Amino acid sequence: MIATVISIIFIIAGLIFFIGGAVGLIRFPDFYTRTHAAGKGDTLSSLLVILGFAIYQLKDFESFSHDWLTLLVILKMLGISLFILITSPTSTHALMDAGWEDGTKPEIHPNRPNHLNDDCEKF
Amino acid sequence: MLSKIFASIAVAITGSILLYGVSDFPAFGDPNSPASAGVPGSESVSLYFIEESYKDTKVPNLVTSVLADYRGYDTMFETVVIFAAGMAIFAILRVVGNDGEEKRATSLEDSFTNGDHSRIIVGTTVRIVVPVIQLFALYVIAHGHHSPGGGFQGGVILGASFIIIALSENLNAALRRLSEQNYVRLAAIGILIYAAFGVMAQILGKNFLDYGVLEPLLFTDGPEMARSHSMLGVEVGVAFTVTAIMFAIYANLSSRGQLEKGL
Repeated sequence: MIATVISIIFIIAGLIFFIGGAVGLIRFPDFYTRTHAAGKGDTLSSLLVILGFAIYQLKDFESFSHDWLTLLVILKMLGISLFILITSPTSTHALMDAGWEDGTKPEIHPNRPNHLNDDCEKF
Repeated sequence: MLSKIFASIAVAITGSILLYGVSDFPAFGDPNSPASAGVPGSESVSLYFIEESYKDTKVPNLVTSVLADYRGYDTMFETVVIFAAGMAIFAILRVVGNDGEEKRATSLEDSFTNGDHSRIIVGTTVRIVVPVIQLFALYVIAHGHHSPGGGFQGGVILGASFIIIALSENLNAALRRLSEQNYVRLAAIGILIYAAFGVMAQILGKNFLDYGVLEPLLFTDGPEMARSHSMLGVEVGVAFTVTAIMFAIYANLSSRGQLEKGL
């Protein structure tokens, strides 16, 4: 019962972050902020949803000798979430790096001083 | 312009003929279609596979038992098609006679994180992740006859792990681990492994790729387990070829046949 409630909380939190990532992907002004929204939102929300699934598996857990297959499933889910934790931010970083090397300019407000201006001059 | 109009007319005619042919197909999932129930007078072959394939081969994954055993001849030449694709890429793109091989030999140090500052993050992640990917690829290959997967899928994952190494640093880093000589050899060896299983069955007096007679060679109890183990061996052969050709296609395309630097 408690495991189910906790897993529901985790999954709903993950879905909220998914919505945040989707809204950011559509509404943010330029390439870098959009990648930022997609990368951060997707990583955290995938982690939360998968952890929610893993906790849900605990609901009929009785003993280690009896339910070790359930434990194996939970371990695999934790492995997946670890993999996402490592790879998803890296792919976002690689994408942004490729965009920067390609000369994509960030959108900077014209009236605001910004240290990125100097970096952008070289393009 | 005129040729485009003619081409569009040809495409439209071909497309409408094909769509007309589709209308004669049985409905999707129809239990009374000839493929599922057979025609009057002869029993359906798919019913035989569903009911008898586990008794014949002791392989729980029906798809693999059809792919690698009942239909093994076809799968062998699918592997040959992949090999031929790699050889075609090689013949069209590869520029022979550069001195890239010597340069690679002189720069032996592992330069994942050395030098290029912007690649530290990607290089470190790849170094952590690639062993996991390769282990998972071997799992997919080895469990092809018990769960979804098999030689083609595992081979693609294994080939992708080398492509990731090439992407994270440069092509030479991947070529130091899987050199051109070795991947061409690996591709050929894969097909030879597959064909060897067929020829072995012929030598022992049965048809090509009839794995059941390999029982004394594989030390199994019963011809069913011999078929199961032979499927694993055949999948390993497929995985060799697919791995090598995946990487060969990437290496030649990304460096325009020079096998230097890459993207």
